Amino acid sequence: MMNSINNLELVKKLVNEAAPVIKIEQIDNQQLAFEIEKRDVHHVLTVLKNSGWKQLSYMSAVDWIDANKFELVYVVFNWDKPVYVQIRAMIDRNNPEMDSILPIFPGVKYYEREAHEFFGIAFPGNPDYHKQLILEGWDDLPPLRKDFDPSAYSDRKFPSREYPADFSVVDPKNKSIEKRKERKVRANALRTGGNKQ
Amino acid sequence: MLSTKFTPATKLSKAEIDRKWWEIGDFFRRNSLWLLMYCTGCCAIELPPAMTSAYDMERLGMGPMATPRQADILLVSGYLSLKTLRRLIYTYEQMSEPKYVVALGSCPINGGIYHDSHAVINQLDQYIPVDVYVAGCMPNTEAVMNGFVDLMDQIKHKTANGWKKYHAHFEWYKENQRNSLGEVDVHDEFHQ
Repeated sequence: MMNSINNLELVKKLVNEAAPVIKIEQIDNQQLAFEIEKRDVHHVLTVLKNSGWKQLSYMSAVDWIDANKFELVYVVFNWDKPVYVQIRAMIDRNNPEMDSILPIFPGVKYYEREAHEFFGIAFPGNPDYHKQLILEGWDDLPPLRKDFDPSAYSDRKFPSREYPADFSVVDPKNKSIEKRKERKVRANALRTGGNKQ
Repeated sequence: MLSTKFTPATKLSKAEIDRKWWEIGDFFRRNSLWLLMYCTGCCAIELPPAMTSAYDMERLGMGPMATPRQADILLVSGYLSLKTLRRLIYTYEQMSEPKYVVALGSCPINGGIYHDSHAVINQLDQYIPVDVYVAGCMPNTEAVMNGFVDLMDQIKHKTANGWKKYHAHFEWYKENQRNSLGEVDVHDEFHQ
């Protein structure tokens, strides 16, 4: 008799036997996350794939700019034992590079291209990782890095409409906001018998 | 006795006859507008009620058209990313003249809620001429219908001249397109 608790235990056992785990996070009854070393990712993913976690649902990256790290997240799913397993690994933010997992999960091809485009992570082993996928002719920092400023880029690239008049709704003669505040104070005073609270 | 309704054509110059024919053409054109719906953004959700029995666009003589070459109106419904703008310019240039552009929502006007996005342009009329803007985020269906009626009025009064502006200021539009897009041509590994 399989249930989700047994499945979670099974995943924990599999990953713990395969590689040293830095951190385990149980997100809910169907999701488990393991933080492991970068060098163990391929082995752990192979073990999981051979145990039935044969679908790579997603792969992406997170930019932890204060720690100067990128976190790669691989999400795999098993159709017989319904547990999503996240495999997380920190890689260096300067000159980020991660060996491709293309031989294990061929479907990662486009996820790796996307991660290269939006974070600038190199994936040696994937012959197409440097090709453009979503952005066309991008000429700046990869846009999902935290040090990229989308507002400044927008101001520089796309002309904004200039308005001949100020259409803002703040009117110095309109005291409705102050009146509303006064009403609030008055209602509060009545409610509390003149006390502030 | 000659009808007083019509001036005999012999007394008109060529330019005047051309103008007459344009007026006749505009009369039929404004009562039979075919829309190319370029549903780029969320304002496209206003089109089903506008087209179906709730507001019934057909009573104004408007209908959807499948290809740009046979459409009169290019309907831009919502925000335009850089990628979509490239395809939109392709589409606009494919359309046969006279052609009109109707832009829905606040995103084509000034960027709307995407004004600070790296992927979405702020102002559509820098790249192609726009005849009617329908403001709102999103505009309600009455406003969309009103925008179409406004366009018909503009055609009647010969003020829907966006496509002429595109000819007159072609270099200016092209320069803006190049400044924001880098290159207007689409280079796409899936189509080459």
